[in-house]
Amino acid sequence: MGLQTPWLIAVLAALLASRRCWLVMPALLVAGQAAAQDVERGEAIYRTWCQDCHGEDGKGDGPAADRMLPRPRDFVAARYQIRTTASGALPTDDDLMRVMGEGLPGTAMPGWPNLSDDEKRDVIAYIKSLSPFFERETPETLQRSVDPGGGPEAATAGREIFERLECDRCHGRLGRGDGSSAASLEDWRDLPIRATDLTEPWLFNGGMGADAIHTRFLTGLDGTPMPSNQDALEAGIVTEQDLWHLAHYVASLGPEREPDVEEVVRIERRETLPGGPDDEAWESVRAFYVPLIGQIVEAPRQFSPTVDGVWAQGVHNGSELALRIVWDDPSNSPDPEWQEWQDRIAATLYADEVEIPTDPLPDLLFLQFPSEVPEGRERPYFLMGDGRDPVYLWLWHSRRGAVEARAAGLGAAEALDSAGSGLAASAKWEAGQWRVVFRRPLATEEDGALGFAEGVPIPVAFFASDGSSGETGGRGAISSWYYVVLQPPTSRAAFVAPLIAMLVTGGLGMFAVRRAQRSVHSEGRG
Amino acid sequence: MFDKTRTWATVAVACLAWACGGGGDAGAGGEAPAVEEAAEAAPIIDPATAGTIAGVIAFKGEAAAPQAIDMSEEPDCADGYGSEGPLTQSVVVNDGRLANVFVYVKEGLDLTFPAPPDPVLLNQENCRYHPHIVGLQVDQPLQISNSDPLLHNINTQPSLNRGFNISQPQAGMETTRDFGVPEVMIPVKCDVHGWMRAYIGVLDHPYFAVSAADGSFSMPKLPPGGYVVEAWHELYGVQTMDVVVGEGETVEVSFTYDAGMAENAEVPLGEPLVLGH
Amino acid sequence: MSRFRSYLSHPFWGSLLVLVFSYLGLKFGIGYLLPAVGVHSAPVPSSVLLQYMLTVFVAILLYVSTDEERWRAFKQPIRDVMVDPARRTMRAVLLVAFPVLAGFVTYGRVRAEVGAPPSLRSIHPAPPNDLTFRGERIRLTSLQNPLRESGLLEERVRTGGRLYVQNCVPCHGDRLDGEGPAAHALNPVPADFTDNGSISQLTESYVFWRIAKGGPGLPVEGAPWNSAMPVWEDILTADEIWSVILFIYERSGSRPRTWEEAEGTGEGDEG
Repeated sequence: MGLQTPWLIAVLAALLASRRCWLVMPALLVAGQAAAQDVERGEAIYRTWCQDCHGEDGKGDGPAADRMLPRPRDFVAARYQIRTTASGALPTDDDLMRVMGEGLPGTAMPGWPNLSDDEKRDVIAYIKSLSPFFERETPETLQRSVDPGGGPEAATAGREIFERLECDRCHGRLGRGDGSSAASLEDWRDLPIRATDLTEPWLFNGGMGADAIHTRFLTGLDGTPMPSNQDALEAGIVTEQDLWHLAHYVASLGPEREPDVEEVVRIERRETLPGGPDDEAWESVRAFYVPLIGQIVEAPRQFSPTVDGVWAQGVHNGSELALRIVWDDPSNSPDPEWQEWQDRIAATLYADEVEIPTDPLPDLLFLQFPSEVPEGRERPYFLMGDGRDPVYLWLWHSRRGAVEARAAGLGAAEALDSAGSGLAASAKWEAGQWRVVFRRPLATEEDGALGFAEGVPIPVAFFASDGSSGETGGRGAISSWYYVVLQPPTSRAAFVAPLIAMLVTGGLGMFAVRRAQRSVHSEGRG
Repeated sequence: MFDKTRTWATVAVACLAWACGGGGDAGAGGEAPAVEEAAEAAPIIDPATAGTIAGVIAFKGEAAAPQAIDMSEEPDCADGYGSEGPLTQSVVVNDGRLANVFVYVKEGLDLTFPAPPDPVLLNQENCRYHPHIVGLQVDQPLQISNSDPLLHNINTQPSLNRGFNISQPQAGMETTRDFGVPEVMIPVKCDVHGWMRAYIGVLDHPYFAVSAADGSFSMPKLPPGGYVVEAWHELYGVQTMDVVVGEGETVEVSFTYDAGMAENAEVPLGEPLVLGH
Repeated sequence: MSRFRSYLSHPFWGSLLVLVFSYLGLKFGIGYLLPAVGVHSAPVPSSVLLQYMLTVFVAILLYVSTDEERWRAFKQPIRDVMVDPARRTMRAVLLVAFPVLAGFVTYGRVRAEVGAPPSLRSIHPAPPNDLTFRGERIRLTSLQNPLRESGLLEERVRTGGRLYVQNCVPCHGDRLDGEGPAAHALNPVPADFTDNGSISQLTESYVFWRIAKGGPGLPVEGAPWNSAMPVWEDILTADEIWSVILFIYERSGSRPRTWEEAEGTGEGDEG
């Protein structure tokens, strides 16, 4: 139909004006949409960009789906997580547009800025055509109240709601996804699903911030264990204000934006080193965020690891170094409570890999260093070194503590022969978080161990394994090379050099002025 | 070209205005209830000729023994089960009779039944669903209630209907929902308590039953005719039987399950969705 | 107004103005203003900025000193500050301000934190003449993608697409732009195949070498210790790699460099 958009609007306006026309309205709206959206064009785009994950028939079973957790959306079953509609309802077109535009953080779904809005609408028309549900009902956005505002008081009030609604059952007491039910959670396909770590809001599928969080409370996340609280709200068990307070509390559990990543982890110099993993002195030491990703370079690969980042902070005193590494892991592995989870993860993710571990496994953390401070730009291979250039390791095991080791390849770590250089570690797991403190003298006599020099960048790389997710023997989460720099003592030069610079500049200035004035005087005389 | 569009648009506006204005107040709005009334009229089943399908679900062999449920994380719930403690409900066999089998008329009815207004109850008590197997009609209200002083979420996972997942964080809370399409069966679970399971059968007629503790079931007031009756069990799968009900007759039907069926049982949960076009 | 104009035409104040504008233009104009109007650009590094500013300064000196009159006018304000009794306060302020500034800058330099060493690496290092693929010797020079001649091209591309999403998407992304879900944690960042400087600059044999041997197969100038590119010959067959190559060219809308084009210019010199 050749009807132009302005004319469509004119027709609609005329209809609105003449009242009692509501019966014809939906038909017209549908006609208007059919003109704007084109299922065939949408299918062509779908075939190019979407079907490899979402499947030829839209069932979320494309060739890439097997390695993902959560799996891609099934457009036939049409259970959509991120919506503005009631639990069990379909998403609106706007909901789908938003997801296609921005993607779903924390999942493999990217945003699609390469598609125009019209193209996205066409794709939406196509994926809606895949499910009979869209023919049966028209989704409606839930009514939401206005945010009464955040602040510390709202967050404190929200904490009580968090406890009253028992959010901790899945998300854990401090929100790190370690609740008592976390190990048994399943999505609608009976696949294991992790309870969201509320302290990492930049990975929330539906976006961060109190507003987005509040929407999720009302709508729930269909297809996941996260229920809608709309009924509890209507039943008066929670109030509108309660839910907003809760939203602000959840938002307050994590940073306001994704942490910046810096290449250098700076190790402060202090007279006294902080003590164990819970020493309050650590609170005043700057922490550096290092994102981790699944080890998919060599078999056995892990496409959806548990650990997605570590926080590193360090202090040294000129003779000894203390490093604290903190990361979220919902299980203190090995833990029999998580054995079933481990088996389910193995069945879900490792089906095509060679080894499927079945025995209870520990959590592991590897800190990789070169065996000596590199002179040039060469350094060992970032993934546990190789035969030509092995790495020096601090290998921490959740039950045996830390040892110094060397590795010449993935899964080929060997403890150093002797006592090493005096590495000591203390660790604590609490409420879904590991805090591990390593201490070692800077200098070492040990062959193959690194001596830490001050003021030079020393490569470091991180590797974390969650035993309860069957991560062992190279399965885990890795980082690229980063650097630690031990802050050198403040030298006298730091004060002397500026002083000299000031004197020289000042002297030259005086000299220039004197000379100029003298020449004026002599001119005057002459 | 532009002029033509304009003309068409004007004509369209005129037509629509006529269509809208012409009907008068009663118009289309008045007709809808009439249609609904027609749909709501229940078919008349003559009690003189109506029959009954009744019987028992027999069980042969060694039934899998009920397993203890670890409710240690919910002491309030665990306390409700005495010294024996809570046991799984998926297989309940008493003297060779199997309980919790959903029996229903699958084929043979061509009558349309309106939804009864009385709600069917599904209660959560001591961290378990009561009853374990629920049957109700299309659009009939399902009243879900929580008798436990703790958080449950009710996560229904149908294939043909739209599922829902709602929280009931407090004792005494009630929620009412319904299902618009027949579906056998809809699993219900609580993600907070992984052991909690119930199944809901939704039908567009009232001829269904759940086998009792003694394995008995009964579907009365059936018009005479030939039917396909199906029995559904969550572990041992489905069996069907052709049954002819004569005028005023009570037909004895019995299904027999045996322990070996668990291995290759197909347990349908709704039918896979077919594309709508 | 006229007073302002006279200032502008004055060699000293005019020069100062040119310096300030050059600085602002270089510092903010190139890096931030151009992208705002849609022109692709990036901020000028501070070392380059210093060079540009020095050039501008020398140019100004050359200009003002070409004419005796202008040179004198240029020096006049400086001279005035130094000798004019009426400008004693100004003179004192400057005599203090300059040394303080110098001290401050020096302090900053001495105290500068040690950064990460620059990661100099050749993005497209020169390839070897031949390679051993799963024990089989393959001559890279003049090597063509065998699948291009084998027919069934469409199906091969589809196979490549399937392999790509299974294996490559985590880093190189669904859109082939190097922004996969794992890319944020990698340094160096994964290659962006939609970039003009990427696969469209390379022959298919080069791409085959890079995929087959991955990060560890790079020569030293390519910094093999940093690259997270797996050694795909351990995971994929030669045919599978060739089909992935077909796919990435097809989907990114680019064309491989042919051997005729590569000859003479020498592949791998850039980067």
